[in-house]
Order: sequence, then C-alpha cells, then structure tokens
Amino acid sequence: MNIMRLAGLAVALVVSLLFAVFVGDQGPWYFAWVVGTVMIILIAGAGAILLDAQDEQTPEKEI
Amino acid sequence: MELINPDVVDLSRFQFALTALYHFMFVPLTLGLTFMLAAMETVYVVTGRQIYKDMAQFWGKLFGINFAIGVATGITMEFEFGTNWSMYSRFFGDMFGTPLAIEGLMAFFMESTFVGLMFFGWDRLSRPAHLAITYLVALGSNLSALWILVANASMNMPEGAHFDPDTMRMQFDSVVKVIFNPDAQAKFVHTSVAGYVSAAMFVMGISAFYILRGQHKAFAARSFRMAALFGIISTVAVITLGDVLGRLDYEHQPTKIAAIEGLWHTSKPPFEPWLAFALPDDARQENHLEIGVPFVLTPLVAHSFDTPITGMTELEEQAGPHIASGIQALSALRRYGQGHDPADLAQFRAHEADMGFGFLAMRHAPGQDVTAISAAEMDSVVRQTEPDILPNVFVTFWSFRIMVFLSLWFFAVFALSAYVSLTNRLERNRLLLKLCMWSIPLPILATEFGWITAEAGRQPWTVFNRLPTFLSASSHGVGYMIFSLAGFALLYSTFIAAELFLMFKYARLGPDHGAHGAQGPHLTVAHDRKDAFSIASSLSS
Ligand code: HEM
Repeated sequence: MNIMRLAGLAVALVVSLLFAVFVGDQGPWYFAWVVGTVMIILIAGAGAILLDAQDEQTPEKEI
Repeated sequence: MELINPDVVDLSRFQFALTALYHFMFVPLTLGLTFMLAAMETVYVVTGRQIYKDMAQFWGKLFGINFAIGVATGITMEFEFGTNWSMYSRFFGDMFGTPLAIEGLMAFFMESTFVGLMFFGWDRLSRPAHLAITYLVALGSNLSALWILVANASMNMPEGAHFDPDTMRMQFDSVVKVIFNPDAQAKFVHTSVAGYVSAAMFVMGISAFYILRGQHKAFAARSFRMAALFGIISTVAVITLGDVLGRLDYEHQPTKIAAIEGLWHTSKPPFEPWLAFALPDDARQENHLEIGVPFVLTPLVAHSFDTPITGMTELEEQAGPHIASGIQALSALRRYGQGHDPADLAQFRAHEADMGFGFLAMRHAPGQDVTAISAAEMDSVVRQTEPDILPNVFVTFWSFRIMVFLSLWFFAVFALSAYVSLTNRLERNRLLLKLCMWSIPLPILATEFGWITAEAGRQPWTVFNRLPTFLSASSHGVGYMIFSLAGFALLYSTFIAAELFLMFKYARLGPDHGAHGAQGPHLTVAHDRKDAFSIASSLSS
C-alpha cells in the first residue's frame, strides 16, 4: 500500500515537474498564474489560521 | 467585399458592447469567488473548524446566485458573432471558432458539472473529495475565461494563422502559437486576477457591513482577513500584468498605446510627462488642459529612459505607404480571383502584410472599389484614409485612466484593511469599514473600463491590422438592430435587477439565516443553499 502511494506521489511529482518546465518555457505568465494563485490561497488561509491563534491567546479581544 | 450601412455597423458595435459589458458584470465574481471558496474550504479541511465550512457555504450561496444568473448572459454573445458579425466570422472564424468551441465545452461540461457537485455534494462526498470539486469549479471557470481571452488575443495580436487567397479567410496554423500568444497569456492573467480583486472586495465589503452592525463577528473577521490578504496580493498582480499588457501594446499595437497615453506627437524622452489628466480632442487632434507628471511616460511605456514613443500624427504619416501597398494587395487579389495567374498571386504576396490597410481605404475609393482608384486619385485616397487608423482617443485615454486610478484605490484599501485586520483593530476603524463597503462595485467598474480600453483602443479593426470593423458586420436592417438591442437591454437589465435583489437579500440575511437561525453561529446551509440556487436557476432558465 505504502509503495503504491509512494509511486503515485512520484508520478505526480514527475508530471508536475514536466508541466512546470513546459509551461514555464512556453507560457511564463500562465505558469506565474498557477504559482501565484496557489500562493494567494495559502497566504489568505494562513491569515485566517493566524486569527484563530490570536483568538486563542486573547479570546475577549476586539476583532 | 461590400460595405455595410454605417448605422448597422454602429448598432452592431453598440449591441456587442452592451451585451459584453452586462456579461462582464457577472464574470469577475465567478472567476474570483471560486478560488476564495477554495481557500476557505482548504482551511476547513486542514483545521476541521466548522466556521470555515460555514464561510465556504455562505459565500458559496452568493456565488451560486451570481453564477446562475450570469452564466446565461454569455451565451448570447457567442450567437452574436454569427448573427451580427457574419463577415468577421467568415474571415476569422477558423481562428476564433476553435477557442470559442473549447470554451463552450469547458463551461458546460467541466464548470457546470462541478458546480452542481459542489452545491449538492456537501453531505455526499468526503471532505477531501468535496475540496477537490471546489478546486475544479475554480479551475473550470477560469479555464473557460482562458479560451475567451485566447480568442480575444488573436484579434488583438493575430498569431498562428495565415490568409488564404483561395478561400479568402484566415486559416489556423498552430494551436500552440494561438494558446501561448504572449497577449493571450497576459490578458488571461490580468483578467482572472481582476476577478480575484473583485471577489476579495465583495467578501471584504459585506464582512465590513456585518462588523459595522456588530453581527456574525467571528465569521466576518475571518472572511474579512482572508479577503484583505487575497485582495492585496491580487491587486499587486493585476498592476504587474497591466504593465505587461501596456508593454505588449507598445510593441504590437502602437495606435492603441498612443491613444491610451493621449500622445499626439512622438515623445521627447526622458522629460515627456505621463498625463494624469487631459481632454483629448479627436477632431482637432490635440489635448486640452493637460496635467502631467514629468519623466514618467518613457520608463512606464517603453521600459527605458531614451526610447521615443511614436505619436499618433507620426503613426498616421507612417500608415500612408502601408495604405498604398494594401490597395495594391487588394487589386492583385481581385485579379488573382478572376484569372488565377501566379504572377498576380506573387504580387499579392509581396503586399499581403498590408492587405488590411487596403480594406481600410475602401471607404474612400470611388464606388468603394479600391481597384477603381486611378493613379491621380491614389494620393488623395491615401491621405483620406490615414486618420482612420486611429481609435477614439478620448474614450481610450479615459477608460484606461479610470482603470488605473481605481487600481491605486484598491491597493490603498486592501493594504490598510490587511494591516488593520492583522493587528485586530477592525472595529475601531469604522470609516475604513464603510469605505470597504462602498468599494464593492469598484473592481467590477474597473473591469468594465479595462474592456473598453482594450476594445475601443483596438479600433478601427476587429482583427488588428487585418480586418476593419466596418467590414465585419452582417447586413441587417436598422430596424432589426434597434429591436434586438432594446430586447437585450431589457432582458439584461432584468437579470441585473434580479442579481442585485437576491444579493442584497441574502447578504443582509447573513450566514445565520434559515433553519439554523435560532441555533447560533453554526450554519446548516443545505436548505438555504438549495433555496437560493433554485431561485437563481429558475431566473436563468
Ligand atoms: C495600474 C493598473 C493597471 C494597468 C496598467 C492596466 C493595464 C491594462 C491595459 C493596457 C489593458 C488593455 C489591454 C489590451 O490592449 O488589450 C487592460 C485591460 C483590462 N484591464 Fe487593466 N490595468 C490595470 C488595472 C486593472 C484593474 C484594477 C482591473 C480590474 C479589477 C483591470 C481589468 C482589466 C480588464 C478586464 C481588461 C480587459 C481584458 C484585457 O485586455 O486584458 N485592470 N489593462
């Protein structure tokens, strides 16, 4: 089971790398969009999780 | 090709502009909200906290209203190419039809299928599976937009096609060139990210409304923070890609960039000011009341300090030889069509690059036939055609400026909001919260003006330097055009009214509304969601 999962992840990694190389070469702005969108989502999500942490530290604080 | 009644051309243009602008009131929210929903749901799946599920469901409900009403408005435009722009479709359909067909497939099969699963799959799918579906909705809606922008870029910067003198059409050469056209890339990212900005302002503005009223505090604070961070990075990205588009216009559409900058005469670097205000006078070819910032234009447009940017007067003069050459191209093409003589074909090939300018001269040729222009008349026809290469400068100049000034406003609002939210001082900054609320429609306005910049600036062409707009329309009667225009205006205004009514209603009701209203913040959206979705679906069908 673990080996299958590892193989699956390895295939995903190789496909992602090939995708990145091709799109980065042919369409740098498309590539920037993919990377940028992921980054925007992660930063927005991190902001929310930070708010949860701030809330836990001082539950009665203003928002 | 025969000339079409100018009133019909104007009405066709007006109808297309109207339907496109109406359609684009819905599109940005779809492009952006889907990724915001994905962000919220990602946090839900990672942390397991119910509040993020509530957020994804509530904002998803507003997305559903927008999607159900908005999706129908795009379809009419696809038909308009056939009904109102049949000459264009004949000439350029090979190029334009392919991406449009893929868009249709994406929108209907990928986007719509996954939207259904997203709405009705909350209780039927595992958390990761539902999250994957939400990402696919976001990807699907943005990939639909991709194909439209690929098609639009091929009109602004035709690549991957050639003109076939036997079929008299542009023929498709390379799908890779069409998809990876630099203009398509920049347009896609600029427009998609403009959607992110719109969605972020929407979520932030409505959250600000709740905070101002002291309602749904935990929900609103989290939505606000996510939107502020989403918005500030997206605004930086939209400005960066705006610069890329400007640079591409400078390289490939010199008349558009000169009109955008109100530059009647070739610039004098490095001093040349960037005009923050001016009243361009198209008739007299000059600006009134100029207010400029010195030393900014050259680095902004040319990304250098010493490259002059060609002004519109000089571009007109430079067009003269191209117009004369285009007239020769059309004459050779006519002869080739009649006798299929290889010598005529060779002559056509020698002037082919300027063929579009030959079309442009038709309006001033005797009997609108460029082959009938005598040697004595040639100079006068060329001179009369030269000013036709320019777009409407006033419209292009101001639509661009409104978009740019708004983006500076967004930057300020998002940056301040992100800072105030991160330092937990939202409640005491009531003015900022009000500004966020009032700014909700502004990114959509910026988007509309972006399209006006791109499309008004492309004139007088439908396909840049290849096919003039006045040759692209269908030969309808004026009465038919007025009738259909009125019909669209009425129908689309009803859609907008329905959208606004439902959005206001459900935003006011807030996340606690419905069966779960009395039970505190935990939302059981299933009943609500179907409720909103069915209202919206019945309106759109
Ligand atoms: C400093 C900021 C900005 C700059 C320099 C900029 C630049 C441009 C340019 C040059 C075009 C015309 C592209 C063409 O020739 O086809 C354009 C189009 C457009 N802009 Fe902007 N823009 C900016 C901000 C924004 C903002 C804030 C939005 C919306 C939130 C927006 C939305 C659009 C849209 C929807 C289009 C039409 C589609 C396209 O051609 O990409 N822009 N922009």
